[in-house]
Amino acid sequence: MTAQPTPVLQVEGLTKDFPGVRAVDDVSFSIERSTIHCLVGENGAGKSTLVKMLTGALRPTSGTMTVSGAPYEPHNPNDARRGGIATLFQELHVVDQLTVQENLTLGMERSRFGFLVSSDLDDRVVGTLAAIEPSIDPSARVSSLSVAQKQIVEIARAASSGASVIIMDEPTAALSEREVERLFAVIRRLRETDVTVIYISHKLDEIFELGDAVTVLRDGRHIATRPLSQVAGPPELIEMMIGRAVLQNYTPRTTVSEETVLTADGLTNDLLKDVSFHIKRGEVVGFYGLVGAGKTEIARALFAADKVAGSIEFNGRPVGRSPKDAIRSGIALVPEERRTQGLFTSLSVRRNISVMNTRKLSSSGVFRSADEKAAAIEYVRKLSIATDSIEKYAEKLSGGNQQKVVLAKCLFADADLLLLDEPTRGVDVGAKTEIYDIIRRLADSGTSVAVFSSELEEVLGICDRIFLLVSGSLAEEVKNGPDADAAHILNVVTGGERRAAP
Amino acid sequence: MSNAHTSATTTFGDRAARFARNYYIYFVLVAVVALLSLANLDRFDLFERGNFLNPNNIINILRVSAPLLTLAGAFTLLMVSGYIDLSVGSAMSLSAVVYALLAINGTPFLAAFLITMVVGAGLGSINGFLVVRLKITPVIATLITLSLFKGVALLLVEDGVSAIKSGGGLKMPSWFNDYGREGVLLSLPAAFWVAVLVTAVLVIAQNRTLLGKYAAATGGNPTAAKLSGINTGKVVFLLYVIVGVTAALAGIARSSFMSLGDPLSGDGMELTAILVVLLGGTAFSGGEGRVLRSFIGALIIMALTVGMLTLVPAYYQTLVLGTALLAAAASNHLVSRKEAGS
Repeated sequence: MTAQPTPVLQVEGLTKDFPGVRAVDDVSFSIERSTIHCLVGENGAGKSTLVKMLTGALRPTSGTMTVSGAPYEPHNPNDARRGGIATLFQELHVVDQLTVQENLTLGMERSRFGFLVSSDLDDRVVGTLAAIEPSIDPSARVSSLSVAQKQIVEIARAASSGASVIIMDEPTAALSEREVERLFAVIRRLRETDVTVIYISHKLDEIFELGDAVTVLRDGRHIATRPLSQVAGPPELIEMMIGRAVLQNYTPRTTVSEETVLTADGLTNDLLKDVSFHIKRGEVVGFYGLVGAGKTEIARALFAADKVAGSIEFNGRPVGRSPKDAIRSGIALVPEERRTQGLFTSLSVRRNISVMNTRKLSSSGVFRSADEKAAAIEYVRKLSIATDSIEKYAEKLSGGNQQKVVLAKCLFADADLLLLDEPTRGVDVGAKTEIYDIIRRLADSGTSVAVFSSELEEVLGICDRIFLLVSGSLAEEVKNGPDADAAHILNVVTGGERRAAP
Repeated sequence: MSNAHTSATTTFGDRAARFARNYYIYFVLVAVVALLSLANLDRFDLFERGNFLNPNNIINILRVSAPLLTLAGAFTLLMVSGYIDLSVGSAMSLSAVVYALLAINGTPFLAAFLITMVVGAGLGSINGFLVVRLKITPVIATLITLSLFKGVALLLVEDGVSAIKSGGGLKMPSWFNDYGREGVLLSLPAAFWVAVLVTAVLVIAQNRTLLGKYAAATGGNPTAAKLSGINTGKVVFLLYVIVGVTAALAGIARSSFMSLGDPLSGDGMELTAILVVLLGGTAFSGGEGRVLRSFIGALIIMALTVGMLTLVPAYYQTLVLGTALLAAAASNHLVSRKEAGS
């Protein structure tokens, strides 16, 4: 019998309840010391809730966590750091105006009567940085570094603060391929210095390249924790992530006309690479891909909110050069950030609905309040928005009803093409179904809808055709139907096919 | 991919830009002084006929500069931390009135001096409390205290009198004037040397203490500072108190120079202070700025102000100040945008 080494991190029966949902459900697993441990799962699988509990941003409803055998109950990020767990968030937390070395010691300085004194700390942080990335000059101002270098400074800071576990949440999202290679080298060197890395990514090729072990979550539950050497390949991992079959309630629709309403040809910008497609009248198309694959960029390009090379024709005419032109020609966008970009939270439901088309409600500059009221009542009824009054402030509504208000706003603007960016994010299950019904009814009545989503179930549930995006390119077009292959789609967007193809 | 190489080495352009940012303020000072000494300065009759560089003229400028020079350093550190104090002028007025009241009622110099500094610290901690504890936006909070402090200063001055001064049986002690006027070293008064001392202390504080570093971290990236375990609220509170103390010192200098406690003597000081700090290259957005450069900026503004007194009619001066502020703010914005882009 050989003694098992103590795992660096162990979670036991971890559960987190939110009103109406159990985001993490009785999850237990452990992570071995000095490994790179990957955490995978679809959107909504409970990864981010789990990470928030590990970093102290959320408190578990029940269950325990132990770090190197000691109980671990963080209440905030500082507790987590003291407990030996540091997190590299997607947004960078470095101070541009200070030097690299000043950033590395920030918050850990030695001082006497408030005066900074030099100590072995400086040697240690500089040593740590040199060990993981010697090319960064400790005396350089952080503002002169690239995003990738700033990230490495943050990693060096976490490592020199004595963290035994560093959590990295999609660290490669903003990096070029060469920078990714460099980051991977850094992560491997960290492992040699006895640091454990929890690596969260949707990109399965990265996971197989880098990871020692993987934990799979699905619907808040723990599916498996295994050494990656015992996983046959991306298909097996995908199967664990999505289960037997994706819930599919798509039925082919007959109301799609043959008439093309929108043609996009060769869309190219910083991210997009020669993207071409067309949308028919009454059709629901889906754009599916990982974060950073180019979904939002396409939506903003179609809405003329961003400049893009290539041509976009809508109803036979080029769309204009500003969102104002796009709205006038019949395109409406429901943005991803509902609360900050789609909704006027401090206005009433009534005034939100009318805001995109006040022209329709005024004659020679005089506003007709009675018509506004009538329109608001009509849409509240049509979309069954749950509100006791059209005068209620939009911020008081639930997420699903807020989203319906945004939809109503676009419908009132007489849109022929609706662009929906993550239309059901932060919306509860019941409202989700209602929003899907609304989308289908709209399409049946001749409106074209483009759904930009990172939820596979969503695009497979409502879209007639699905465009798969990988790093700004349109990788494949999938016709939805009973034989649409979810595993194949996931394989394409997570880069499984990319490595295979030359 | 494209930016993988660019940041490792600094180009000549980078170094030139950094040199310009670090030292331009000294060039501006030399240029302003040179221009003023070339102008027809027979008209510097406010102080002394003759050349701008006449020692007496220089001494006079430095004497009237003492309040602004005292204030500039602390104001810089506060703006580096990303905060602002619009009440400095009122705090200065109130301190001037308190100091004059104490003096005219027979309080000895040192006691009056220290009590006024404590009052200044109290005013600063009110600002700190409003901003840090009650989380009121700094501009709004200090606009409120601007009005409050000034109101108290006006109340302290009796009806029918515009300022605390000799008369009605009370007389200012003879020492009252000395602090701001009487030369003690190189013919310059104590008030000027106190300004130099305060600036020296703050330069050291900025470069060598936790406060200086944490101010930059708080202004540069508040989230990063908090996640590093820095109590940013404490840093900001302390900076407001320091600004309050320097405002009190500025009030003492001003009232001593004018021989009276004038409840309006600090009016407009907040705008001048902002102008000075922006001129010294402090970023409006926080994180960036040097105490010493603001000190030089204050010298420039005072030299220009004295020059303006003779060259520009009085009723244009506020407009000129506003225009200068606009220019400083616009160039500040351009510089920070350029740096953000690089």
